[in-house]
Amino acid sequence: MEKKKSFWNFFTSGYLILVLLFIYLPILYVMVFSFNDSKSMTSFEGFSLQWYENMFNNREMLESIKTTVLVAVIATVVSTVMGTVAAIGLSKAKRIVRSIVLEINNLPVLNPDIVTAISLMLLFLSLKIRRSLVTLTLSHITFCIPYVILTVLPKLRQLDDNVAEAALDLGATPWKALTKVIIPQIYPAIFSGALIAFSMSFDDFVISFFTSGVDVQNISMYVYSMKRFNPSVNALSTLIVIVVTVILIMANLIPYLKDKKTNKGEQET
Amino acid sequence: MKSFFRMTYPYILWIGIFIVAPMLMILLYAVTRSGNSTLTFQFTLDNFAKFFSDPDFMKVLWTSLRIAFITTVFCILIGYPAALFIANLSERTQTLMVLLLTLPMWINMLLKTYAWRGILMNFDMESEVKVFIGMVYDFLPYMIIQIHTAIAKLDRELLTASYDLGANKWQSFLKVTLPLSVPGIISGITLVFLPAVSSFVIPKLLGGGNYVLIGNLIEKYFLVAGDWNFGSAISLIMALIIIGSMWLTKKIDRNAEEE
Amino acid sequence: MKKILSVLLILALAAGLLLTSALGEETEDFGGVTLNVFNWGEYIDSDMSVIRNFEKKYNCRVNYKTYESNEILYTQIIAGDSWDILVPSDYMIERLIREKKLQPIDKSIVTNLDLLADGVKNLDFDPDNTYMVPYLWQTVGIVYDTTKIDPEKVEEKGWRIFQDPEYAGHTYMYDSERDAFMIAFKSLGYSANTENEDEIMAAYEWLLEMNSAVHPSYVTDEVIDAMAEGYKWLALVYSGDAAYILSENEDMAYCTPKEGTNVAVDAMVIPANATNPRLANLFIKYILDYDASLEISEDVGYASANAEVLAELSGPGGTYEGNAAYVPRGGYELDEFYHDNEVLRTRLSDLWFKVMSAN
Repeated sequence: MEKKKSFWNFFTSGYLILVLLFIYLPILYVMVFSFNDSKSMTSFEGFSLQWYENMFNNREMLESIKTTVLVAVIATVVSTVMGTVAAIGLSKAKRIVRSIVLEINNLPVLNPDIVTAISLMLLFLSLKIRRSLVTLTLSHITFCIPYVILTVLPKLRQLDDNVAEAALDLGATPWKALTKVIIPQIYPAIFSGALIAFSMSFDDFVISFFTSGVDVQNISMYVYSMKRFNPSVNALSTLIVIVVTVILIMANLIPYLKDKKTNKGEQET
Repeated sequence: MKSFFRMTYPYILWIGIFIVAPMLMILLYAVTRSGNSTLTFQFTLDNFAKFFSDPDFMKVLWTSLRIAFITTVFCILIGYPAALFIANLSERTQTLMVLLLTLPMWINMLLKTYAWRGILMNFDMESEVKVFIGMVYDFLPYMIIQIHTAIAKLDRELLTASYDLGANKWQSFLKVTLPLSVPGIISGITLVFLPAVSSFVIPKLLGGGNYVLIGNLIEKYFLVAGDWNFGSAISLIMALIIIGSMWLTKKIDRNAEEE
Repeated sequence: MKKILSVLLILALAAGLLLTSALGEETEDFGGVTLNVFNWGEYIDSDMSVIRNFEKKYNCRVNYKTYESNEILYTQIIAGDSWDILVPSDYMIERLIREKKLQPIDKSIVTNLDLLADGVKNLDFDPDNTYMVPYLWQTVGIVYDTTKIDPEKVEEKGWRIFQDPEYAGHTYMYDSERDAFMIAFKSLGYSANTENEDEIMAAYEWLLEMNSAVHPSYVTDEVIDAMAEGYKWLALVYSGDAAYILSENEDMAYCTPKEGTNVAVDAMVIPANATNPRLANLFIKYILDYDASLEISEDVGYASANAEVLAELSGPGGTYEGNAAYVPRGGYELDEFYHDNEVLRTRLSDLWFKVMSAN
């Protein structure tokens, strides 16, 4: 029995490592080629830091990072809050209402980006709203919410309705029932939804291009309009991966260290 | 439960302005022809007639649906076990795994596809295989995250209960985990299949330039031909076909739920 | 001797500079205003020192954004964005002039139009440079691997080389209806701007034959790196990109077929709704001048609109010396610009995807 279990553990962790390898293979490739001496993405011709130098000298590229992160953060926060609230409401809605709203919700997911992009551009034009960082953010929120709803709603459907109702019967306000009963149970789904929303916003090109103004440019707009491949983008991506990895490590290490500290503190007292 | 439904009002207002109204404009373009000015509209169904009278358009749509379908199937086959195994890890490791799965999504898709092209260049394989590697690669994290979200947390308590009741691992999986994960799979399919139908950059770059896909065609009519009317019509036809097929899937889901 | 000459030249320039600055022209201070420039992606020197120097010179800030096609540019213009400088291609400029979306160049500021190379002078869509000043220019041609294909054969067959089954699986075709139909039209002896339905159908048949003969990979800009790496033997390429390919891979050669080709000029224009027309005119003059033109053309590989730069880069000791693709063929009677034609555009799109999916 023990042996069987350890084999199973070996198998599952092996499988997960393979999946992670598959997902990180091109990322590693990009990182290696960010040090390539030539512009090629297929043959490595020696070590060089020129693309990093190039990137740090490129004001447009650096500004595009700021825009990308700013828009992604705002879009993620707003879409996660609005999407979660809407998903909770929808989970209690009549089936017919729910399916109509969900069909509309799916539109930005299934429409080709160019259709979403042109349609939003037409909206802003007809409302005579000058396209800017604001319209860009509004558009990002619009295509991020569907992802949050699609992630949170399945979790809500598993929830026992009775729990929330019991809380209400026991005199809890709907707000309390929401924050104390429902949200804690669907927290992992909200977290995943927020992550997906952030990724969608971070990597969007077409919609951003048509809904932003003269003076706004994000990373993707920069990358897609390159006629000839500029390996500084490799350097930029490597930097993003490293920064995020460091943040991840710290986020995982800090609670761990804190635990240790409080444990120590408890022991001392 | 009425008080809960009120929570959807802001969102309904939002989609009214930012999804429904813009789509009505696309609909307007689809059923009109461009005059000399962008402000005059003449009603016509020519755009739809043009699409259905030329079998080549259907052929392109069919190829796109086929690629999206196969991609989705592979994402489920590879993603389901992964999601299941992740759900069995400790809570902190689960969070870390979800983060690790999403991090690559922040790197530009075009760039990752260039990288795949470089990697796959060293292997002699059918270009279609390369296309599917690229497509599955791009969409797999969505599938894993959706399924994982559905089976995380709840799963374990129920599983313990089912073990207590004397069920073995396989039985508990079939009776508890699998049914619980169905909404996650449906969500995963939505997030993989729908965008996959209209995506074309990966097949274009990895397929040796041998694919004409519906997303590419729509973008060309908008941006190269400058024919927004026909571009709108194709995208509406595509949306209706997909919504129809999703509706069927949901019906199956509902039947499964009622069982 | 040369050295003395250049010293003299510099002295003369310096004197000129001092003189003009005394007149209060060149040191104009714009107090940090923003000039909005919208250009093609990767179409300027890679460290953008040209832009940085301009900012320093006029104490302004250049907001530099990029696009990938004329049609995208057009969409942004009709959306009402207010740009100061755009760099569309010939046929798009023709359309913008017709739709009154441009304002005339101020020739009291842009006083250096005599620097223009012969190939980009008196262009039929704006012969007097009323609205545009050329930036870079190019032709469409064939890049091929000389270790696999005999140059004589390419010269002799011209565009028909794309119908030679010997190169099946070894060919890239540019995924652009306008360019693909252009080579078919030219190969058949028609105009690249023909609207004649019989000629269009004949070109369609020509392309179908090409598709079944060589089964090309339909690509866009990825062809540049792919040919530089030598993955295939034959490709349809713009001359500026070909110049880069040839400088990276010495096996590659470039041919502009004798049946004629498309000549394309990307030129700077000032939209009617520009917020800083004066600075925009100064920018145009600055770019056309020797220094900026040299930096840009040398880095990008597309032919400069500045005659002196063109001669220097292709001449002895120049970066593109002996590079057959750098200087486009000028003044050849079978070469044509594209003209803006909405009906033709949709018609070609309808047919082109059928060629590509005919496998």
